[in-house]
Amino acid sequence: MARLLLLLWSLGPMLWQLYSSLKPSEALSGLGAGGWTLENYRQLLQGDPPFLTYLINSVVVGASSTALTLALAVPCAYALSRLGRRQARALTALVAAAAAFPAVLLFLALLELARDWHLANQLLALSLPYAGLCLPLAILLLQAAFADIPVELEEAALIEGMGLWQRLRWILLPLMAPAMASSALLVFLFSWNEYPIALTWLSRTELLTLAPAMARIAGSSVYTIPYGACAAATVLGSAPLILLMLLFQRQIISGLTQGAIKG
Amino acid sequence: MRWRLWLLMAPALALLLAIFAAPLLHYLWLSTQAQSVLTGLQPQPIGAQQWLRLWNDGRFWQDTWQTLRFSAASVSLEMLLGLAVALLLNQPLRGRGVLRTISLLPWALPTTVMALGWRWIFNDPYGPISRLLAGLELPAIPFLSNPALTWMATVGADTWKTTPFVALLLLAGLQTIPADLYEAAALEGATPWQTLRRITLPLLTPYLLIALLFRLAQALGVFDLIQVLTGGGPAGSTESLALYAYLNAMRFLDFGYSATLLLGSFAILLILCGAGAVIWRWSLRWQGGLR
Amino acid sequence: MSGPMSAGDGFQGLKLRQLSRRVGSHTLVDQLSLTVAPGEILALLGPSGCGKSSTLRLIAGLDPASSGEIQLGGRNITALPPAERQVAMVFQSYALFPHLSVERNLSLGMELRGMGRAEIQRDLDQVLALMQLEGLRQRKPAELSGGQRQRVALARALIRRPALFLLDEPMSNLDAQLRDNLRAELRTLLRSTGVPVVYVTHDQHEAMGLADRIVVLREGRLQQLGTAERLYRDPANRFVARFLGSPTVNLIERGTTQLGLRPELLELTDAGSPVPQGWEALEGQLSHREWLGDRVISHVQCAEQGTLRVLSREAPISSALQVRWRQADALRFDARSGERLPGSNTPHTE
Repeated sequence: MARLLLLLWSLGPMLWQLYSSLKPSEALSGLGAGGWTLENYRQLLQGDPPFLTYLINSVVVGASSTALTLALAVPCAYALSRLGRRQARALTALVAAAAAFPAVLLFLALLELARDWHLANQLLALSLPYAGLCLPLAILLLQAAFADIPVELEEAALIEGMGLWQRLRWILLPLMAPAMASSALLVFLFSWNEYPIALTWLSRTELLTLAPAMARIAGSSVYTIPYGACAAATVLGSAPLILLMLLFQRQIISGLTQGAIKG
Repeated sequence: MRWRLWLLMAPALALLLAIFAAPLLHYLWLSTQAQSVLTGLQPQPIGAQQWLRLWNDGRFWQDTWQTLRFSAASVSLEMLLGLAVALLLNQPLRGRGVLRTISLLPWALPTTVMALGWRWIFNDPYGPISRLLAGLELPAIPFLSNPALTWMATVGADTWKTTPFVALLLLAGLQTIPADLYEAAALEGATPWQTLRRITLPLLTPYLLIALLFRLAQALGVFDLIQVLTGGGPAGSTESLALYAYLNAMRFLDFGYSATLLLGSFAILLILCGAGAVIWRWSLRWQGGLR
Repeated sequence: MSGPMSAGDGFQGLKLRQLSRRVGSHTLVDQLSLTVAPGEILALLGPSGCGKSSTLRLIAGLDPASSGEIQLGGRNITALPPAERQVAMVFQSYALFPHLSVERNLSLGMELRGMGRAEIQRDLDQVLALMQLEGLRQRKPAELSGGQRQRVALARALIRRPALFLLDEPMSNLDAQLRDNLRAELRTLLRSTGVPVVYVTHDQHEAMGLADRIVVLREGRLQQLGTAERLYRDPANRFVARFLGSPTVNLIERGTTQLGLRPELLELTDAGSPVPQGWEALEGQLSHREWLGDRVISHVQCAEQGTLRVLSREAPISSALQVRWRQADALRFDARSGERLPGSNTPHTE
């Protein structure tokens, strides 16, 4: 019973979107009869720019943010886990505070940053603030994972004659793979969903990522919102994420809980 | 050895400083500057004037109240529901893994996407809720046009999206509680309620606190949801602090005042966290005194 | 760096000179000096926290020495990084790389040092055969038993052809029976390498069964260095006497001195028997007995002197007993400092 309720609560709104997206707009406003139709999707995919553009933009930003975040967070987390306890604890506390900080409060300063450095309307540049905002969580998560690797493994490698880079490449990083996958997925989720910064950094329609594009679709006509098309956009915009969740739920869940617990 | 470790941390720390610390310092400076259409978008020093303006700004205080109301309502709902869901998912049920994944889906969706979805669900008269009420021959509920209801709609949508996050965190906490504690409680004939009060909740406290802190900070900065679902309306009744600051910068082009508002929001966040910490410590001492 | 021979004196083994490690106000290793000859196995023995593992880590180069010197093969290696010391170490946890197969665990280091494929393959085959690991080449550490893991760890150390072998409690993760079986095997293997071996353990049986000489450490300080027999028969102080031997040595008070009586050197007779010339005796009641199979430990309650443990072949018949010993067999210690007093027993020659 409780399980059913939970299912209904979680899936109900999404199923309603799916249903709406497959109905002609007349049926949605209660005027016409309701057959099933793909018209909403056709409209969306053939729009200007086609909806697919937003998805591709989001994937590009997501991938570059993820790569940048990991490139910065992995060495930092390693160093933190090998630093003396007192220094590490102080730094970790700061990083944890940053992880909880509401990012929206930073939009104005980041906007000026984009203006001063001519980073506006550049998809890849967006990964700079995204990486910055994701770093705290990624660092916490990876630091916890590094701390779980016994020091003796690294010492054994040291005695074998491996340098720092070799130890990272051959011993530590392979053992970090699960934690790195978790953080990568969380960063990707974040950048896929991020709104205020994308909204202020991107103004050219063909460069929009999914989140601001959705808002723009909603705002495009103030009086009659094209709910059919909106629902279709919702479905298309969520589908990749739902797929990601279903495929990698284990990593995402472990990342989410690990990061929060150790933080 | 030491300096090599700091070298490894340097790039990440530099970016963190640039993204988190520099903006706050910049706001501090900008809040003492007039930078708006009136000044030709050039900064001009005006001292504490904007802070005075903030103090006398009815809209700021109204938005503060609305933001606090939204945060208090949605966070407490999320904690309650999240605990319930976590307890449910912690039962050895069939299909628990699938259920866990599905219940996490709302959290993974972009806020703007799902805000748009909720706008359609709350739609009067075509949304599913209105249709359902009409089918039952009940009067329609104007969720998005009645100020007294709209803020509740935003709370509902936020709760739907973030309860899974809280639930998941608490579930992780529940799984750290050793099973033999429950077995011992069962041997002593404890009721489920007693078990929850005496074992589960005390041991879950750190997780509850983390979830509470994290959610509270995020709720106080609520922006995406409000902007897309209600635009702050009707009549500004759901406008949040972040949205007001955003409007000042992007619509009124008053950057100086926007920075002041952002710092004001940050100050409120700090005050709340500080007060929470004091109350927490105080309650610990009070409990200690009772024992 | 100083030339290979400049710091040394031609001794080809391992030599520690006044080696110390201090962390804050703690002294983990205190002025330790010792030598280990090529082909010799030296055991560092002591309770946990006595500094034996710290010493090993200093020799390996995992921790820096605060003062003193480490020489290996005639060169001063005190300041060298671990990689350049030509040492091999077997960790207590084995520290096998969990994501690599047995084969890769052994070969990774050689590959990264740029050794040729054929050479690596030859060494691999040789060591895997020696350690009877051929069938396990492709297994991951998680798929191995405890004993197999230990063999892989040893193999990984052997394949490096080190100038020095360090082992940190390599047996402590094995069950007791396997440990007994492996001791002789391990000794043969280590001796065959022909390099100095330093073996850390807290288990006296392991140290006595494996090592040529034993160092007993306490709070970072050397208590005594010598063969197992020497340490047992002629301990330098009470600590060494108590640490070696089971059942533990009996201690009885004699004013400012303490007598240390080995349980197997005590004799039991009926109470009231005459005490022969050159012997001493205490009278007491039998409180209980422990059967060891071939021998028995009798616990005899002797008024103010407490309980004495007596190891004998046959169980006593009566319960009122006399415990007696040859005066020359008693170890005499200063009651306060625990130092051995001169003039007591001379080691037996048997």
